[in-house]
Amino acid sequence: MQIKFEQFAAASMLGSADSPPRDNGEILFQRPWEGRAFGMAIALSKKGHYEWEDFRQGLIESIAEWESTHCKDDPDWDYYLRWLASLENLVLESSLVSEEELEERTRQMLVEANATLNQS
Amino acid sequence: MTENVDREIYSAARVRALESLLIEKGIITGETVDKVIEFFEKDMGPFNGARIVARAWVDPDFKERLLADTPSAIAEMSFPRGMAGAEGENMAAVANTPDVHNLIVCTMCSCYPWPVLGLPPYWFKDPTFRARAIREPRKVLKEFGLDVSESVEVKVWDTSAQIRWFVLPERPEGTEGWTEEQLATIITPESMQGAARVVVPA
Repeated sequence: MQIKFEQFAAASMLGSADSPPRDNGEILFQRPWEGRAFGMAIALSKKGHYEWEDFRQGLIESIAEWESTHCKDDPDWDYYLRWLASLENLVLESSLVSEEELEERTRQMLVEANATLNQS
Repeated sequence: MTENVDREIYSAARVRALESLLIEKGIITGETVDKVIEFFEKDMGPFNGARIVARAWVDPDFKERLLADTPSAIAEMSFPRGMAGAEGENMAAVANTPDVHNLIVCTMCSCYPWPVLGLPPYWFKDPTFRARAIREPRKVLKEFGLDVSESVEVKVWDTSAQIRWFVLPERPEGTEGWTEEQLATIITPESMQGAARVVVPA
């Protein structure tokens, strides 16, 4: 029996600390970038750039780190910010992208975003 | 508040930066991320199960085939990319009737009929839920807000790697003359787990 990697990846998180938000059986993305970050993390592992378990452990650690410095019901809790932090770490660690490149590109994107924002 | 707005803009920019660099380096393509998202949003999910149940409600012959041989009945439906390879081949449907109410649990792992039900709810993997559902299903159902009369038999199906069960709920009254598409909109994942009835929205 063949299981799709996407399914394996999501199933491995369910019922654990790193379980993603979902709504009525469907995965829940509340902001467009959440889905992009979700898709990237799974795709990079599927292509063999890192082990899925390594991503999961990074995410679990990132969640634990946040929880150790915040109250349990802190309204600032944001699952996908933890996800993004773990993704960034692993992408840099796997040398897929360098820190300088990422910082530089982020700056460019911020300039673009602010330009669009000022237009409207 | 400004801090949150800034953080939002920053996160979105950061994600765009990451994706654009990965695409530029040829590590992923422009469609890679869309395909992963599509898998979760379009290929596998409770919307598939809802279509199967709705078909069974309007077509008694299909219902008979579905209960006799679930995978081949599902194969008749033209799902986008089919169910093969998605653990859909070993699914089995059980029908609720006026005399029997079915509930599915999994006492082993996260065995779950994904292609039709989507992502399992948080309680599905909870050891207490699983143990109690087998020991006192009527009480557990009551906590879900589902009162099953004493005259109705409650059957609990333990889903496993060999067989992944899902429930064919009863068609609610007040849906006479509805089309398959209309019916599909009211069928919830919970009802296909046996944890709820299908109700007509007020």
